[in-house]
Amino acid sequence: MFHWLEKNPFFFAVGVFVVIAFAGLIEILPNFAEASRPVVGLKPYTVLELAGKNIYKKDHCIACHSQLIRPFKAETDRYGQYSLSGEYAYDRPFLWGSKRTGPDLHRVGNYRTTDWHENHMWDPKSVVPQSIMPAYKHYFTNIADIETAYAEAVTVKKVFRTPYGDEFKPTKEAWEAHKPSVLAEAKAIVDDMKNKDVKEAVANGQIPEIVALIAYLNRLK
Amino acid sequence: MDIRELQGYASFFMTIFLVVILYSYIIYLYRSEKKGEKDYEKYGNIALDDEIDSPPIERNPKNQSEKKELNK
Amino acid sequence: MKQIVILFVFLSIIFIEKDYNILDINNFWLRIKIINIIFYKGVCMQSHAALEYDYSVAKLFTYTTILFGFLGMLIGTLIAAQLAFPELNYLMGEYGTFSRLRPLHTNIVIYGFTVSGVFATFYYSAQRVLKVSMAESRFLMFVGKLQFVLYVILALAMVASLLMGFSSSKEYAEMEWPLDILTVLVWVLWGVAMFGLIGMRREKSLYISLWYFIACFLGVAMLYLFNNMEVPTYFASGGLGSVMHSVSMYAGTNDALVQWWWGHNAVAFVFTVPIIAMIYYFLPKESGQAIYSYKLSLLSFWGLMFVYLWAGSHHLLWSTVPDWMQSMGSVFSVVLILPSWGSAINMLLTMKGEWNQLTENPLIKFMVLASTFYMLSTLEGPIQAIKSVNAIAHFTDWIPGHVHDGVLGWVAFMVMASLFHMAPRMYKREIYSKKLMEAQFWLQITAVVLYFTSMWIAGITQGMMWRAVDEYGNLMYSFIDTVAVLNPYYTIRALAGVLYLTGFLMFAYNMYKTMTASRKLEAEPQFRSPMA
Repeated sequence: MFHWLEKNPFFFAVGVFVVIAFAGLIEILPNFAEASRPVVGLKPYTVLELAGKNIYKKDHCIACHSQLIRPFKAETDRYGQYSLSGEYAYDRPFLWGSKRTGPDLHRVGNYRTTDWHENHMWDPKSVVPQSIMPAYKHYFTNIADIETAYAEAVTVKKVFRTPYGDEFKPTKEAWEAHKPSVLAEAKAIVDDMKNKDVKEAVANGQIPEIVALIAYLNRLK
Repeated sequence: MDIRELQGYASFFMTIFLVVILYSYIIYLYRSEKKGEKDYEKYGNIALDDEIDSPPIERNPKNQSEKKELNK
Repeated sequence: MKQIVILFVFLSIIFIEKDYNILDINNFWLRIKIINIIFYKGVCMQSHAALEYDYSVAKLFTYTTILFGFLGMLIGTLIAAQLAFPELNYLMGEYGTFSRLRPLHTNIVIYGFTVSGVFATFYYSAQRVLKVSMAESRFLMFVGKLQFVLYVILALAMVASLLMGFSSSKEYAEMEWPLDILTVLVWVLWGVAMFGLIGMRREKSLYISLWYFIACFLGVAMLYLFNNMEVPTYFASGGLGSVMHSVSMYAGTNDALVQWWWGHNAVAFVFTVPIIAMIYYFLPKESGQAIYSYKLSLLSFWGLMFVYLWAGSHHLLWSTVPDWMQSMGSVFSVVLILPSWGSAINMLLTMKGEWNQLTENPLIKFMVLASTFYMLSTLEGPIQAIKSVNAIAHFTDWIPGHVHDGVLGWVAFMVMASLFHMAPRMYKREIYSKKLMEAQFWLQITAVVLYFTSMWIAGITQGMMWRAVDEYGNLMYSFIDTVAVLNPYYTIRALAGVLYLTGFLMFAYNMYKTMTASRKLEAEPQFRSPMA
């Protein structure tokens, strides 16, 4: 039987496939139903926060920052309550990261403010003198892609039943109708900021990337 | 029986099954060599003598009739 | 044309004598015999003279291996230097920050350099162990070349899109959905070429290298498909926003599981399995020694296939995935030492009684070193997967240190050695310079040692500082203290990068000269590669 397998490439390939697929079948798939339940009170990301999350993704913040607090005293002292599975229920994709060149950010909203982030993104050394993080000055001029964030909200509502309100519909009109509320959210953040260009852009109805990113970081609690 | 239990049983029996297969494979490899039925080490030469016109270690039959002949 | 000549020869032999009597049976049979011999020999010799292994596809992938190897290592060296000298982040505006370049480095090195190397060595060695030539099938030749063209398009699109910031932000699976589709296409074409060649084979049994290539094909296909399941938002939302954007099919902890099931097994099926395929072919061929124990190679194959997949969850220890899964990952990681060392020991013992070749032939040196580093990193990995060790090691620089043991010491060494072995056969010239090769070897080995030692120290230092508490139980260090302390190690690592990159440039130069300017060979060398 064994020798026959070695001479029949097709059945050999099937055999290899069974052996490698086995682990996934047992270990990975059955867990799905259980782990995707949100913790009580967890709200889906607002459109502005999603736009910020997309900037976090685009610039690959996970290369240096984790979003996973492990259950050790040293970590809970430093970053706060350890992470729970249900807190990530609306994270598509998960952004745990695998390397902490910089600190964990899972609860950064608890101890950093809009003002702090604004200074830090403009020049990290101004708030943390020894920092090796690069400045992200282009966030203050680049305009965030809010429409894509709205499209994402609509998509996850439709496909994964993420609990967004009934007004989230896959049409241009619904998007136009939703815009003012995103802008209002942005304005609330900009009130705490001092950069003139950013204030001006938001007054003109455009949202620079920094505002969306701060909205996202403030939400991480 | 919930999914966790099922998972446990599936994992256990599949692992036992594959371990049995792996061990019988080992036994098969060494016994067939001892009995002289099958010499696995000769396949190592496939890499050494790999000119296109050198004779294959085991020829692959091109069609059915040749296959029968080789099996005789 | 051939047929006409044969017919002419045939007729002339039968009727060359005027007084030929067709009824003279003996004479007739004699002549038929002569014809037979001439005819048969003629056809056979002709077809054999024409039938040679065809390396055109292997050559194409050799070029991309060198190109992407250089590019990936260049970016790697740059981002290593950025950690030591942060000013280097501003070389290219928003496109030059560490965070933007890091996925570019990993993707180019994995999918540009390593995968090109896998394709090149496959198209070279698969023909040889199956004893068929690509030239025998126009279809497969077309598939191979098409695969190359699509692959280059994909690789360039990958570089451009990651630089522009189109990323799904899942490590080693950053490419957005349109590129994923192209990836699937390239992979399927490889499968067609692989099973097409196997279907035509003259050698009935598949050599162990091919087992590993088949496993690489199947494993990556399965894992890649599962991990990159995503919904393009543009289509689901009726045409809103960016076309490139997508959301993952899985959320949170599930996504983490699938991602590291992939991330870990990308290491298995891209950095381990096809590289073992290479060493099982190229080491015996270069040294003239058959594999020490063919049976052991088969056993460790099945062992590796079964065990590797379970270990994925060791990337998620102390996270929110269920405990039993973490323990499973931990235990299987330790079990994984067995099949890994089975292969590694088998490779080293292949050189049994022939260790003198190590001093005479730098190529053997490359390969033996590669298998040594394979042993080292397959021991280091399980150690890091022990839960208590992981508590310190995870999130620190020890992890990139471990990865680079494997990729610099094992993968890149083996890929370069394979290309060196292939060059004299593909270009019919001897290797340009043995001295350069020796120098490259020592330069790069120094680089690897500097790299992993500095990262060991950096990782453990940082891991210990994060958890250090004073006598009252308060944390002793602020986070930035643990960053500042790493500066010397980051500098050493950047230096190691420069050394390795220099070595790679020497390799590229040596290959280029071999292709163009080296002394021509009359016959294909059987075992040891000739070098000047």
